[in-house]
Amino acid sequence: MILNINGLYKSFAQSDSAQIEVLKNLNLEVLEGETVAVVGQSGSGKSTLLSLLAGLDRQSSGSLRLKDQEISIMSEEKLTQFRAENIGIIFQQFYLMPHLTALENVSLPLEMFGDEDSHLRAQEALQQVGLAERENHFPHQLSGGESQRVAIARAVVIKPTILLADEPTGNLDNATGVQVANLLFELVETTGMTLLLVTHNTELAERCSRQLTLHSGTFQ
Amino acid sequence: MKKASLLFWPSLALRELLNNRGFSVFFMINLALGLAGFIALDSFKESLDAHLGRNSQAILGADLALTSFVPFEDETISLLESKLPENTRSTRKISLFTMVSSENQTRLIQLTGIEGEFPFYGKIVLQKGGAISSKELNQALDVAGKAWVYPELLHMLNLKIGENIIIGEKKFLISDTVIEDPSSSFSSFGLAPRVYLAYANMKDTGLLTKKSRVSFQKLYHVPQETDLDVLTAKIRVQIKSFTGSDSKIRIINHKKAGNNIGRLMGYLNDYLGLVAMIAVFLAGIGAAYLFRNYLVQHYREMSIMMSLGATRQQTYNMVLWQLTMLGIAAALLAIILSMGILPLLPMLLEKFLPSGFETHSKFSSLIFALVLGAVGSLVFCLPVLSRIRAVQPLQLFHGNIGGQALENPLWRQILSYLPLLVLSWGISVWQSHSLVIGSAFVGMLLCAVLLLGGAAWGILVYAAKFSRKPAGSPSVWATMKRLAFRNLQRNRSGAISCFLALALGTLLINLIPQIYQGLQEEVNRPEDHRIPSLFLFDIQPDQIAILHKVLKKEQLKLNFVSPMVRARLEKVNGEDFSTNQEISPRTREAEREQHIRGHTLNLSYRTKLSESESIVAGRALATSFDWDAGVPAEVSLEEKYAERIGLKLGDLLTFNVQEVIVEAKIVNLRRVKWNSFQPNFFILFQPGVLDDAPATFLGALGGLDQSRRLYLQNLIVSEFPNVSVIDVTRMVQRVLKISDQMILALRLMAYLSILAGLVVVFSIARHEVEGRLWELNLLKVLGAKFSDIQKMIQIEFAVLGILAGLFGVAASLIMSYGLAWWFFENIWKWTWEISFISVVGVTALSIGVASLATGRTLKSSPLSLLRSS
Ligand SMILES: Nc1ncnc2c1ncn2[C@@H]1O[C@H](COP(=O)(O)OP(=O)(O)OP(=O)(O)O)[C@@H](O)[C@H]1O
Ligand SMILES: [Mg+2]
Repeated sequence: MILNINGLYKSFAQSDSAQIEVLKNLNLEVLEGETVAVVGQSGSGKSTLLSLLAGLDRQSSGSLRLKDQEISIMSEEKLTQFRAENIGIIFQQFYLMPHLTALENVSLPLEMFGDEDSHLRAQEALQQVGLAERENHFPHQLSGGESQRVAIARAVVIKPTILLADEPTGNLDNATGVQVANLLFELVETTGMTLLLVTHNTELAERCSRQLTLHSGTFQ
Repeated sequence: MKKASLLFWPSLALRELLNNRGFSVFFMINLALGLAGFIALDSFKESLDAHLGRNSQAILGADLALTSFVPFEDETISLLESKLPENTRSTRKISLFTMVSSENQTRLIQLTGIEGEFPFYGKIVLQKGGAISSKELNQALDVAGKAWVYPELLHMLNLKIGENIIIGEKKFLISDTVIEDPSSSFSSFGLAPRVYLAYANMKDTGLLTKKSRVSFQKLYHVPQETDLDVLTAKIRVQIKSFTGSDSKIRIINHKKAGNNIGRLMGYLNDYLGLVAMIAVFLAGIGAAYLFRNYLVQHYREMSIMMSLGATRQQTYNMVLWQLTMLGIAAALLAIILSMGILPLLPMLLEKFLPSGFETHSKFSSLIFALVLGAVGSLVFCLPVLSRIRAVQPLQLFHGNIGGQALENPLWRQILSYLPLLVLSWGISVWQSHSLVIGSAFVGMLLCAVLLLGGAAWGILVYAAKFSRKPAGSPSVWATMKRLAFRNLQRNRSGAISCFLALALGTLLINLIPQIYQGLQEEVNRPEDHRIPSLFLFDIQPDQIAILHKVLKKEQLKLNFVSPMVRARLEKVNGEDFSTNQEISPRTREAEREQHIRGHTLNLSYRTKLSESESIVAGRALATSFDWDAGVPAEVSLEEKYAERIGLKLGDLLTFNVQEVIVEAKIVNLRRVKWNSFQPNFFILFQPGVLDDAPATFLGALGGLDQSRRLYLQNLIVSEFPNVSVIDVTRMVQRVLKISDQMILALRLMAYLSILAGLVVVFSIARHEVEGRLWELNLLKVLGAKFSDIQKMIQIEFAVLGILAGLFGVAASLIMSYGLAWWFFENIWKWTWEISFISVVGVTALSIGVASLATGRTLKSSPLSLLRSS
C-alpha cells in the first residue's frame, strides 16, 4: 500500500469565525502502481485534497500516510525533503520558471539536491516526453502542450513514488490534451509510478484503473 | 540528503535577475546614484587625511616645536633640549598679530620672524626669488631689513614690490611676495595675510612688548628614526615639572599640526556626509519600492521552487543573494560615477585646501563602498522582504498567486525597519563624528519622513473625493482627471514613495539657500546695528580713557568694552584638570574638548549680561566680592562650553591667574548667541575679583560704512600702535564668501539627491504603466486617444509634483526658521522666489520624467491585449 487516507477532514476558516468543511471523513487506499482518477464538480474539494497529499497544506484532522509514513506529523523540513524525493506534481497552469530553458526547468529539482547526473537525467526525461530537441528553448517559446510536457518531465525526473496531477489537460485543446494524456499514461506505465489525477474530463478519468467521485467532501 | 552545489543558488538568483533586466537596471541605477556622492566624499576625506598626514611636517615646518607666550629662558631651553636626540637641528620663529599701514590704509597681519633653516620641511616660494634656501633666507632678510609679504596684502594696501611698509616703529622694504607657503593654513580665512621678517629684525619693530600677544617658537628637526610620540611625552613630563611661566610652554609635534588644520575641513566634510546620506536614503526608497513589486511578481516562481522541494529558507536565501548582487553591482556603478564627482570637490573647495592637494581613491574606500552597497540594499529592502511570508505554494492549485493579503503583525513590521534605523543612525554618527549631531540628524530625517509620509497619506484619503464621478456631462478631461486620482488612490505605496522622494529632495535643496539668504541680507545692510563693524582688542588699561576721548571726537562710542584676563584652569573640585594629549580624539566633541583643555583661557568680568546672553540655570552673579570672607568667587559659564568640558553648576574651579591662585564656584550657566558677533566670553567672573589682574580690553564699534571703517582703522592704529582692529563687516563678508564655496559643495550633494529622487519617480512611473498596460490598452480599445491617456498620467504626476513641492518647501521653511532661530539670532527672511521656483520646477520635472518614462509604453499598440498571456 502506497497511500492510505483515513478519516480525513479539512475545513477553512471563513471571514466571520464560521468554518466551511471542504473534506469530510475521507477514506482512500491506493496500491503501488495504481492509477486513480478523482472527478467531481467545481468546488468539491479536489484541489484541496491534492494540496494535502502534496504536503503543501495540513489537514484539520485524520491521517494521511504515504509510503507508510504519516506526513501530517512531519516537520516542515522533513516534509520538504520527503516531497522532493517522493512526490511529483503537475499543475493545470504548467508553472515553468520563465527565465530557465526547458532543460534547466527539468533539471532544477535534481540540482537543488546536488545530483551530479542532473544534466543527463534531465535530458533523458525530456527525451521521454519527446522534446529532446527543444531543450534550449524558453517557456515563452513553447506551445501550451509542449509546456505541459516539460512540466511532466520535471515532475517525473525525480522518479517520484506518486505523481499528483491537477487538471493536467485543463488548459489545452482536445487534441493536444489527448496527446499529453497519452504521454502521461505511457510514462506511468513504463515506470510503474502511482498516479493520482484530478480532472473534470470523464474520458481522461476512464483511462485510469480506478475512478472516484468527490461530492460534498467525501467519495461516493 | 545531498546539498546543491555551492554555486547553484547564486547562479539561479543571477539568472532570474538577468531575465528581469528592467528591474535590475533600475534598481542598480537608483542605488548607485545615491551611493555615488557618498563614495566620492569618502575618497575625498581619505585623500585629505592622507595629504595632511603627509604634509604635516611642512605645515609645522619641523618635526617638533616648543611654543610660549613669553621669551624662552636659556636655562629652561637647555634643560628641555637635553632630552632631544643627537644631531637635532633647531631654528627660532616669532609670530604675532599686528596692524600695518601704508600711506592711507591699515590692515591686520600675521607678522612672522624667521631665521636660518626655517622651514625644515617644504619650501617657501617667492614670486621673484623662487624657492628659497636657508642661506638665501639669511642674506635676503637679515641684512637688509626687508619683508616678504603675501600678495593679497599688496592688493589690500595698494602697494607694490619695492615700496615700503611700516610695521610697528620701523619701515621695511617689500622685496618679494610669497606665492607658496607650506605652513599657510586656511584656518585664518585669509583675514590676516602673513608678512615675513628676519628673526633678528623683529625687535626693531618695537612690538615684542608685554602689550602684544607674541608667540615664541623653537622648532626642531630630529633624526628620522626618532619616535616622536615618546619624545613628545618625555618633554611634556619635563615641562610639567616646571613652575611659573615655564610650565605654560607647549610642545607640538607635527602630527598635531596637521590635525588642527584638518579641523575646519573636517566640519565641512561632516555636513557634506550628512547631505550625501539623504541622497542614499532617497535612493533607498526607490530601490525598496522597485524591489517590492519585483518580489510580488515573483511569488509564483518562489512557490514553484517550493513545490519542487526547495525549503522556504532556500527560497528566501535566493532573494537575499539577489539583493546582495544588485547592491554590489550598484556599488560598482557608484564607484564609476564617483570618479566623475570626485574631481569636482577639490575644485569647489579650492579655497580651503592646502596647496598641492590631490584626490585619489583608496582601495579600502572601494571595499567600503561594496559592503555599503550590499548591506544597504538588504537593509532597505528588509521591510519589504518581511512580506515574503505571504508566499504560499498552496496557491499554485488555485492560480491566484500572491493575491492573498498577508496579515503582518505590527511588531514584525516595525522590527523590519529597525536595521534600517540602526544603520542610518550608525552612519550618521560616524559621518558627523558626533553622537549629538548624528542622532539629531537621524531624528530630524525620521520626523520629516513620518510627517511627509503622513501628509501624503492624508492627501490620498482626501483625494478620494476627486475620484468620484462628477455630476453633469463628462468631458474627456474630467474623465481622465477622475481616472488619474483613482490611480493615485490605488497605488498608494507608489504614490507615497514618489511623494516622499520629491518632497525630501525639495526640502533639501531649499533649506540651504533659505538659511543663507537671511544671513546675506543681514550683512548687506550696514546701517543695521546688530552686528558690530569694528572689533578692537589688545587695548591696554591706560589707553581706555584716551581711546574714549578720541572716539568721542568722531562722535562714536566704544561699545561692549570688556576686560580680558588670561588664566589657566588648574583644578576642578580639587582634582587636576588636564587631559592626556596623546590620545587622539574619536569624536568632534572629544576633539574640541581636548582643544579647549589644552589652551589658556580668556576670562572676563562684568556686572550685567549683554543682550545676547541669558541665564539658563542658577542665579545671577553677586555684584561685589569680599576677599576676606574666605568664600570662593562666583563665575558664570557658557552653557555649551561647560557641557563640553564636563563642568556643572556648583563645581569649584581653581584658576591660575598669572601666578595668583583664584578659587571660583560656578553659580550660573549662560546661553550666548555667538552669531551676534558681540564680544562674549565662556567664563565670566563677578566684578571685584579680577579687577587688579593684568588685563587687556576689547570693544566694538558699530554702524560704520566702508570708508568710515577704513578711516577709523587708520586713526586708531596711528594713535595706538599696539591695538589690533578687526573689520568685522569685512570678516563676515569674507566668511560668507567662503561659505559660498561650502554651500556650493553642499548643493552639489543636494542636487544629487533630487536626481536620485527623480530616478525614483522615473522608475515608479515606468513600472506603474507597465503594470497597468492591459488597462491602458483597454482604454484605447474603448476609444481613448494617446493624448488622453498621456494626459491622465500627467495629471497624476503633476498632482504628486505640486504637492510634494509645496510640502517640501513648507518643511524647509519651518526647518530653516528653526535653525535660524537657534543659531543665527532670528536672522531669517522668506525668499518666496526660491520657494516658487522649487514648486514649479519639481512639478515640471515630475511631469517631464513621468512622460519620458511612460511614453513608449503608452504608444504601444493595443494589439498586445490579444497576445498577453
Ligand atoms: N484557502 C481557502 N480558504 C477558504 N476557502 C477555500 C480555500 N481554498 C479552497 N477553499 C474552498 O474550498 C472549496 C474547494 O476548493 P477546491 O479548490 O479544492 O475545489 P476544486 O474541486 O479543485 O474546484 P475546481 O474544479 O474548480 O478546481 C471551495 O469552495 C473553495 O472556495
Ligand atoms: Mg481545482
